[in-house]
Amino acid sequence: MEKIQITLNINDKPCDVMVSPNDTLLEVLRDELDLTGSKDACSEGICGSCTIHMDGKPVRSCLTLAMEAVGTKIKTVEGLANGDELSDLQQSFIDHGAVQCGFCTPGMLMSADALLKENPSPDDKTIRKALAGNICRCTGYAKIVDAVAHTGNPQDNCPDCLTSSKPYKIQGE
Amino acid sequence: MRLPRFNYLGPDTLEDTLDLLAFHRDDAKILAGGTDLLVRMKKGLLKPNVLISLKALKDLSYIHEEDGYIKIGARTPLADITASDLIQKKACALFQACEKIGAITMQHYRGTIGGNILQDNRCHHYNQSDFHRSGRQPCHKDGGKICYARDEADRCNSTCQSDGATALMALGAEITLARKGGERTVDLANFYTTDGIMPFAMESHELLKEIIIPVKGAQSVYKRLAYRSAIDYPIVCAGVLLKPSKSQKNKIEDVRIVVGAMSRSPLFLVQESSSLKGKSLTDVDAFKKAADSSMNSASTFAVHNVGATLEYRCEMVSQMVFQALKEAAQKAIDVKG
Repeated sequence: MEKIQITLNINDKPCDVMVSPNDTLLEVLRDELDLTGSKDACSEGICGSCTIHMDGKPVRSCLTLAMEAVGTKIKTVEGLANGDELSDLQQSFIDHGAVQCGFCTPGMLMSADALLKENPSPDDKTIRKALAGNICRCTGYAKIVDAVAHTGNPQDNCPDCLTSSKPYKIQGE
Repeated sequence: MRLPRFNYLGPDTLEDTLDLLAFHRDDAKILAGGTDLLVRMKKGLLKPNVLISLKALKDLSYIHEEDGYIKIGARTPLADITASDLIQKKACALFQACEKIGAITMQHYRGTIGGNILQDNRCHHYNQSDFHRSGRQPCHKDGGKICYARDEADRCNSTCQSDGATALMALGAEITLARKGGERTVDLANFYTTDGIMPFAMESHELLKEIIIPVKGAQSVYKRLAYRSAIDYPIVCAGVLLKPSKSQKNKIEDVRIVVGAMSRSPLFLVQESSSLKGKSLTDVDAFKKAADSSMNSASTFAVHNVGATLEYRCEMVSQMVFQALKEAAQKAIDVKG
């Protein structure tokens, strides 16, 4: 089947790629554009590890065709940090030990980021509801919920917030 | 998992879409959100040659009230429905159903109400990977002559697990199906065949365009039971519409009880519904009796094919209907003060 050239707006950059109609957005991101932050786990929209933002809303890239993403603004986990400085949410994940094996983390970050944009200080229940579609097989949910709740809102009674590391820099090549 | 190959078409107008559907017919499938269709395609259950995307048809995405009816475009994302005050106030069962479909932050922005109604029936013997299914004889839905869910069944017993359809049927909704050169409106309760292979009474060149909900001044409630709320389809669900009487205080004028995920289509239980006419809003015994009777009626259709054991699902029908009736009656009492 012939490949078609499309332009995707990913992390505020236009990217020209050749895709087949049956390529999902996740396959294009990972295989064509080397944006391997979004993970391919269940491939059928259950686990949430492929979550990205389309026009600011979290969606599953494994169930979105690349062709359907033309004309939308796509943000992947690579677009969360500002240059080499991590976002508050990412920093909070590190501080709270919310990353274990790390496979669910990109999806968790994207779901949580969309939530925090809408509601900067969500309560526990709202966070759990927002993250309900993301599965963590290390079962580290409590730390993840803490990390989201304390983002930009450090708690005096939280040892993880008190011992927050210096702003973490992304290591260079 | 890779998707099988297909041609992608993205028409700009409704007319073009209907033209393409009329031309390709069975070869084509409509792609709205893709949260059901693409999963089926990945598992090799469907291999359409053409996908017609509704991406550009933004006109089919709306919610408004007109002459006593709420009209919803079939392409409206679930998130728009859960964000609508109009739906929450006047068609609460639909609001409650949409809130419970999939994971809020995920399916809701891609998944559409039309796609939810038209999601194909499911069965845990059929909705499996190519590899799983290759190890045995194909079932009715797979093109064979066996049913793994019920011994010696002569037809497919797959289950309709749509939350939206159950709630909408309780609300007495109608749907508009458009085709090249015309359209027709059907009552959702008459939209189903009794065939699990093709559960919907619609032609391959028809497109679900609009959902029409009558506003009756009634209370509606939707109840659902599923193992993991954000991932699983319901194993039992029930929608109830309850209209209090205007002339007689605290009496029920009309009730619609619909039980979902127990058969090839949502079940509108006419007998149980009419048994509550004229009863008091506080008559819990009557609710209990109607709920038990609903359980008996629904049990005759159900087969063991959606996860939980059949006995458990049947018993839970009674619970879901009872809770929905009680909650709807309470809401009617609260409104009247």
